[in-house]
Formats: sequence, C-alpha cells, structure tokens
Amino acid sequence: MPKLTINGKDVEVPPGTNLIEAARLAGFAIPHYCYHPGLSIAGQCRLCMVDIEKTPRPTIACNTLAADGMVVNTETDRVKETRRSIMEFHLINHPLDCPVCDQAGECWLQIYYMRHGLYDPRMTDEKVHKPKAVPLGPHVMLDAERCILCSRCVRFCDEITRTGEIGIFNRGDHSEIGLFPGTDLANRYSGNVVDICPVGALTDRDFRFQVRVWYLDTAKSVCPNCARGCNIDVHVNHRRPHHNEGRRVARLKPRFNAQVNKWWLCDEGRYGFRFVDDPDRLSLPAGKNGGPPAATTWDDTIRSLAETLEGARPDEIGVIASPRMSNEDLFALRRLTERLGVTHVGFRVPPAKPADDDDLLLRADRNPNTQGAELVGVGADAKPILDAARAGRVRVLWVFHHDLFASAWHEVEVRQALERVPTVIWSGTNANRTSELAHWVLPSAAWVEREGTFTNFQGRVQRFRRAIEPLGDARPDWDVIGRVLAALGAEVKATRAEHWFQELASTVSAFAGMTYRTIGDSGQIVAAAQEAATR
Amino acid sequence: MSEKILSRNFERPDAYTLAAYRATGGYQAWDKAQGMEPAAITEEVKKSNLRGLGGAGFPTGMKWSFIPKDHAGPVYLVVNADEGEPGTFKDRYILERDPHALIEGMLIAARAVRCALGFVYIRGEYVTPWRVFSGAVREAYDAGLLGQGFDVVVHRGAGAYICGEETGLISSLEGKKGWPKVKPPFPAIKGAFGMPTIVNNVETLACVPHIVNRGAAWFAGLGTKTQGGTRMYSVSGRVNRPGVYEAPVSVTLRQLIYDHAGGVSATGRLKAVVPGGSSAPILTADEIDVTMDVDGLRNAGSMIGSAGVVVFDESVSVPDALAVVARFYAHESCGQCTPCRESTGWIEKQVKRIAEGKGRKDDLDTILDVASRGAGTTICAFYDGAVGPYISYIKKFRAEFEALIPK
Amino acid sequence: MTRATVARTPVTTPIAFSAEQLAEVRRLQSLYPNPRGALLPVLHMAQDTFGYVSLEVEEYVAGLFSLSPAHVHEVVTFYTMYFQQPKGRHVVSVCHNLSCHLAGAGTLVDHLKQRLGIDVGETTEDGRITLLTVECLCACEAAPMMQVDDRYELNLTPEKIDRILEGLQ
Repeated sequence: MPKLTINGKDVEVPPGTNLIEAARLAGFAIPHYCYHPGLSIAGQCRLCMVDIEKTPRPTIACNTLAADGMVVNTETDRVKETRRSIMEFHLINHPLDCPVCDQAGECWLQIYYMRHGLYDPRMTDEKVHKPKAVPLGPHVMLDAERCILCSRCVRFCDEITRTGEIGIFNRGDHSEIGLFPGTDLANRYSGNVVDICPVGALTDRDFRFQVRVWYLDTAKSVCPNCARGCNIDVHVNHRRPHHNEGRRVARLKPRFNAQVNKWWLCDEGRYGFRFVDDPDRLSLPAGKNGGPPAATTWDDTIRSLAETLEGARPDEIGVIASPRMSNEDLFALRRLTERLGVTHVGFRVPPAKPADDDDLLLRADRNPNTQGAELVGVGADAKPILDAARAGRVRVLWVFHHDLFASAWHEVEVRQALERVPTVIWSGTNANRTSELAHWVLPSAAWVEREGTFTNFQGRVQRFRRAIEPLGDARPDWDVIGRVLAALGAEVKATRAEHWFQELASTVSAFAGMTYRTIGDSGQIVAAAQEAATR
Repeated sequence: MSEKILSRNFERPDAYTLAAYRATGGYQAWDKAQGMEPAAITEEVKKSNLRGLGGAGFPTGMKWSFIPKDHAGPVYLVVNADEGEPGTFKDRYILERDPHALIEGMLIAARAVRCALGFVYIRGEYVTPWRVFSGAVREAYDAGLLGQGFDVVVHRGAGAYICGEETGLISSLEGKKGWPKVKPPFPAIKGAFGMPTIVNNVETLACVPHIVNRGAAWFAGLGTKTQGGTRMYSVSGRVNRPGVYEAPVSVTLRQLIYDHAGGVSATGRLKAVVPGGSSAPILTADEIDVTMDVDGLRNAGSMIGSAGVVVFDESVSVPDALAVVARFYAHESCGQCTPCRESTGWIEKQVKRIAEGKGRKDDLDTILDVASRGAGTTICAFYDGAVGPYISYIKKFRAEFEALIPK
Repeated sequence: MTRATVARTPVTTPIAFSAEQLAEVRRLQSLYPNPRGALLPVLHMAQDTFGYVSLEVEEYVAGLFSLSPAHVHEVVTFYTMYFQQPKGRHVVSVCHNLSCHLAGAGTLVDHLKQRLGIDVGETTEDGRITLLTVECLCACEAAPMMQVDDRYELNLTPEKIDRILEGLQ
C-alpha cells in the first residue's frame, strides 16, 4: 500500500489509486470535470492539476497514481493560478446562460467558478455557436454550447452500455458532442449521461424546468423496479408545491453502491416513480357493502376486516402476498397468516410478459423483494389459490399489490375467481382492474412514503427511507396488517417498520443479527448468501 | 559545402529504385546490422548522438532502449511520415527520392527493438510520396529484404496536422480521430494497438544506416557535442533559393540563409526568421548567429523543431503573418483538451482583428497572458507549439502590432 | 459573384462495395493488429468509389468494421480529406499557410474565385471544380502551390493557374 503525503497529511491508499481518490481519502477535494471513477481516464479537462514534489510543473491528478513517498500539494499558489486559468478556458465559449439553464444550482461550472475561478471575464469576441435544445432520444436534451467536452457521456456509452451512440464530431473549438444523424440515444441507461454530465449540456427531458434544484429535498432509498435494488436518492419537491405540476417526487438519482449498482441506474427504474403522484392513487380505505365502494375510516375498516377474517375457516382464506412488499410487510403478514392458520398463502404471480435482463443492472425479475418473500416465508406460487377461488373454496381473498389481470393468468379465470369469492380485499397504491373488483380497497403507502427494507437478488437487505408523507390516508402494509392482528387479539408491539424488522431478525435466521443500523446506507447480506459467498 | 549524406542521391533521377540505392552502397548497413546484437545496434545509435529530427529532438537510441526487455508480445515500429509542420518539406524528399534509405533504417531499427511489424504513416495529401514509397516497399519485398521477419504496412492519413504528434499518430493509425493520448503510459510501454511502440521520424531513420555503416563516432563528429550528424533544413519564405539543404547540425542560421539559400529576397533586408517550423518562436534579424542544433536553438529561446526555416524580409507584416499562423493552430487543434481547444480559436479571433486594424487596447496583453497561462497545461505539445509564435511574434514585434491598434 | 450550387450526382445504386473491393477491405483489415486500423484507408476507398462520404456511406463502412456509426462519423468529421458533401470532379486546394501566404497565395485564391465564379468551399455549377484553401502541404520551397486532385502544382502564377484549369475537364 503506497504511503504518501497530501497537503502535509500522511495517507496510505490501495495500490492503483490515483491522486484524486487518494486526496479524497485524505479529506481533500481536487476539482475535476472529465474524471469519473466509473470511466476510463481521459485527462481532457486539465482542471485536476496538483503539485508533486520534484516535478517541474503542475500535473493532472487523475492520471497520476499514488506512489510511495510521493509528496503532493493541492493548494500551492501555482496550482490555484492554473485552476483559475483552466476555469477561464472552460468558459471562453460557454454561453453563460445560468438564469435559463436547468443545471443551475448543481452545475460544476458554477460551483468551481465560485471556488476556483473568480476572474474577470475578458472574452469579448463572438463565441462559437453550436446546436441548442436538441433532443437526444426520449430522455435526454442536449445543449452543445454548454458542453465542456469532458467526454464522460461518450465514455459511458462506449464503456458501460457498449452502445457507442455518442461521439465528438469535428475538431478544435468546433468540436461538439452528438449522435449519428438520424439516430436516438435510446439505450436502457440513457439517463445516466445526465447524471454524469457536470454541466448543463445534457439535461433530463422529464425533469427539466419542473423545479429548481435548490428547492429539492432528498432521501436515501432503493429502486423498487427490479430485483437488483439499485441504490437511489429520491428528490422531492416540498417547498414549491405549485411547481413540478404538483407532483411531489421530482426525480430519482442513482446513489453509489459498489456492490449493487455502482454509479448507475436504468431508465426503467429512473422514470418508474410516476405512479406515486398519479391521479389513480388510492388515498382512503373503501368498502363495498353491496353497493359502490364507499370511503370509510381505518378504524371501521380494520374492525370489519378482523370480523370477516374471524368469520371464515382458515382453509377458506387466501392471501396473495407480493414481492413488491417490504420485508417488514411480509413478516407482519406471516404473523397474521400463522395466527389465522391460513394455508392458502403465495406470492408468485407470473407477469403477462416475462421481462428480460441484461449484463449491466436490470434483472428479469422486476420485483424488488422476491428474495425477501422467499426468506420471510410467505408461501410460493399463488396459482393454487386462484384455482381454489375459482372452485368456490375461498371465502376471503386478500390480494396485495398485484393486478391479477396484468398477469400471465387467463383473464377469464381471474374474473371467475374474483367473482366467486364473497370478500376480496385489495391492498395497493394505485387503482387497477383487480382493485375495481375488490370489496375492500386499502390504500398502501408508496415506497417513498415510508420506511422499509428489500432483499435483493444477491441477498442484500437494503433500507429505503421516507421521502414524503403518505398520500391521504394511505398506510404502510405492515401498519394495516399489524392493526388487523391487534384487532384479532394478538399482542402487537411494533409501531414502526424498524420494530417489525427487529422481530423478523430474531425469528428468521437469515436475518439474524441485522438491524437498521447494521444495514446502514449500503445494505447487508443475509446469512445464507453470506455463507454462500464465503464458501 | 560539407559532404552530402542523407541527400546524396537526391539528384539521381532513378534514386527511388532499389538498383540505384544498392549502387550507392544501399543495404550494406542492413547486412552489417544482421551480424550485430540488437542491444549493440541501440548502443551504437546512442553513441552517435542521433536525435529525433521530427520536432522533439529526443535522443533516438535512448528512445529505443525504453522498450521493456521482458515484453513477450509484439513490438511495433511506426514511422512518422505525417510531415505537416508549416515550413517543412524534407521528409517528402526522402519518401520520393530515397525511399530505400527509410526502409533500410526501419529494418535496422526493427532489429534493434525486436520488432516484426512496422507501419509507415504518410500524410494523406502526400499521394505521390505514398505511391513512390509503396513501390519501394514492393521492391524490397520482391528482393527478400522485407517479409523475412519484418513486414511493413504503408498507411495513409486523411488530413490532420495533429497526427504528426506521436500519440495522435498512433490514435489515427488505430482508426480513430487523431487525438493524442494521455501520458503515461508512453508509447514505448503501451503504444499502437496497446503494444510497446517506437515512433521515429522519416529522416531520423534514414540516418541510421549511415551510423551503422560508418560508426557512431563518425556520425557524432559531424555535429555538436550533444547532437550528431547532418540534417536536412527546409528553407522557404523570402529567400532567393528556397529548398532543402543538408548541413551539419552545427551550421548557423546565417549560413543557411545566406550561403545555402542565396540570401534574402524581395527587399533583401532580413526582418525575422522562423527557424524550426511554425511552432518555433521567431528570431529577429540579429539573432541568426545560432547553431541549428537542438541545444543551439533552445539556448536562443526558440527550437529547432523540424528544421523548417521560414524567412521574413523587411516588407513582411508580422501581425499579418501571425494571423496566418494563429488561423493554422485554431484549425488544427484537435479539440481534445480544454486550454488548447478554447483558446486557439479565441486568439485567432483577436489576432485577426488586430491584423485588420480592429484591435483593442487590451488585446495584446490578453493574448500574452492567455497563451502563457495555457502553456504546459495540455496533453500534448501542440499548444506549446502555438504559444511559441503567439508570444514571440508579439513580444519581439510589439510596436508593429500596436501600430495597427486604433488609439 | 454568382453563388454556385453544389453539383450532385444522382445516386441510383445502393451503397455497396464490389466483391473485389470487399476482399480488399478484408485484406486491409488483416494488416493491422486490430482491424479498425484499416478504417482510414477504407474510408479513402469509399470516397473514391462513392464520390464522397455520405451518412449512408458512413453507416455502410461502420457495418464493415462492426463500429457504431457515431464513431465513424467522428473520424469522418475530424479529418479534412473526407468530403461529407458531393464534390466536383476535380478538387483544387490552395495552400494558404505561411510560406505560400508570403508568396502571394491570397492573390491566387482571389484569382481562382474570380475565374471559377465560386467562393472557397464551393463547387462550380457544372460540377467540374471544388475550390478549397488548405493548411501547409509541405512544398514550401515551391510556394505558392496547390494540390489538384492527387497532384502538387508548384511555383504558381495566375497564368500557370489558368493553364492548369484548362486541363481540368
């Protein structure tokens, strides 16, 4: 392990660490544009200059590996002067259109100009003009004049997706990024180029002009769109409710996790949050008593549900859990089914069209918690429950989240089943064809509205946090289930998701020893997977 | 005049043929080199004080010795025949008039660095040199000189000055834009197609057979203490006899202009000289008593570069000349790294305005400041090559620029 | 000055090399440790064959190299010798760099513009000549000079240019 000195501080770093990362480890931020830890070294932006003892002039840190005995200084006068000059070079042909630029507030030209530039502009000649507001495919908008040609987006498409859509065309100060004419940037990960663009050149067509970034709040979360569970930040707009078309969730951004998604997020996950603020969100519990569904209170609902469940024999109750439910929800549900002695429990409902996976992030299993559902133990295949319902052997059917009509099951069979069951309870976030046929519709809090954990395909248990309050009277599933349990006379101490997790950890060996604290921000592998990994 | 070595065959109309080359002692050095250990060849070239004649002036033998000894895979030899430095035309003469000198130099260099495949990167516009040289390569194959453990691929560029920069050339050879590569790694460690690579200029390699034939001591003795041999000076601009002149590297700029090129034309009065291609800082009329070797020009605050001498007589407008030069660097900047990409265009605009009488009071100081701030901050030497003229033209002829700026 | 329109040869045949040319492409690719090394030579071939490097040609060549068309477009737009638009039957490229400039290249360019009735970068209406200015072609000893197609024409005067133009059909 090389030991070196950075700004007088001794630091030991793993072999192969460059000086930007070494400085980061020592607590110093070296400004840079083209360097990105997930991409090859380009060395183009020339901003990351540092002084290394015995070298004649400042050297780029990104392409210099830490070496034993190296003495590095990131803040000498000439380094600061060089940075100032490089900032001026970057801005010579930049349009300086911050007031109308959506990147404002998270633009590294702005940030570094304030930190390292602060020169008096002297470029008074006509700037080079390039294409502006050019859509690059469904998600990304290009302003070539704002581009500093750091080539991160080019390298992303070359090295990460290996699709090679973006190039830098022409040369000199007429160089510009773009697509081959007539093509789209439509790979499954296109939104990442917006994340890694350090300036306002590539902006998100979904997010741009919706809300200024300084009005956003953020919560650490996990993407619920497939079994990988990419780590994300949820950006929400509380402070300007009249912006963003009234929607509370403004955007999702990938959050680095070396073991799961690195820096990236697929477009399907990135743009998969719109349901949270859709008009079809359910916000009040509703029950049908022989008529149209009528809104009611949770207290009445819970009482009625408890009575209904108690009034049925255990073998007359069916529960179709969901791999979209959190570990906590599933464990609460397991407690309920155990108490009632229910045997018709399952969670696997095959999707109408099997999804595919790729060699980057996306998993064919588009559910976030299949692994958790298996480990917690809420049955398996739900088809026998459907068959029992069709055969008239089910009096109460509680379906969580699934739209059974959107499954691979035959529509006629689903309809037959739902129509034969005297009481269908449906829990979920948004109305669908299944909920329409239910007698009780229970609004679930969406994942961004609550706490919880998912267990990804690797067996990694990962936390998601509350970014916004539940819509209306929507509640986390664990809360509803817990209240039903209490109404059935069970002793339920859990008042928070974390409590349910504690019970889960002390009951199911795979989760033994885990707490929200040990899971932390980057997750923890369940015991079985850990054993498998170390074997 | 001293003995002609590199240009000895230039006057023969059949000089490009294998027969003519052989008749003047060609391929004897290769015969000799085949009896030498590779390390001994490199050692001989080191002792000869041969320095790269493409522009950077790096000691050739030392460059060869950087190829890792323990490397198991292929090593490539790449010849830089992307002649493009304004004011330089000597490699064209070798390609057209003495192509076998380059082939023989390649054979010997390839043996020294244990290389089985060489590429000759010829600028795209050099169609005739490309055809002539390709013909010579075919002859060498037919004669069994090539194809016996060493192959040569002749590659055409497509119009980009930056491909004369050795790593830009490698990128281009690899079928990409001619973007120079970030160093380290240097080409000797990881060059063309990811393998250790030696990039040598045409003229540099053409010297090698003579070194092997006549010995390092002889070659070193032709030049100065730190650089051996003769080299070919391209002289153009306002001189009476523009052309390629071979002379020992100890020749002075004055001798080249007045003895070889017949003196200053037009007004007959010397104003300034660009001594080493357009990237070399300009010298004034009273700075021409310098030896035309790497260190002689360096000590004079300029550089020998590719030894392209462009002479300005009194009637030449230096601001007008700088406008041409600044346009060239803006046009040829590859666009990869920021200081060069952004400021070559800006400086071109400013110089153009000044030359057109639309300069502003602060322009000259801005150019000087911007250029000196950008110098040394880029991936390759291209920008420093632009800074040379920007700063030297303005500093040495400031009054002429100021006279054009409206008060 | 009359502005000439770009002469366009109607493209009737699909963009494709002959079997012999495809064999040549494979041969060129085999010369390099990575076949991509042959991209510049094959683009030269494509330009000679199809007249200029259109987007369709770029896509075709990209297919021959299993490259993304964007990467071929990068290369085509980087180098000066690939024409992205139809060019004249002859290309006249006048050097206007330092030595040629000192030798009066500017006057020669004006002369050519006037004789051809086009501006630099344009093609005569009859599709005969495309006029360009180029940076140093490294024949400064014979300045002013220009390149006409593959040939260097040296030590130019307006009269010599007129004679050269007469020879271009």
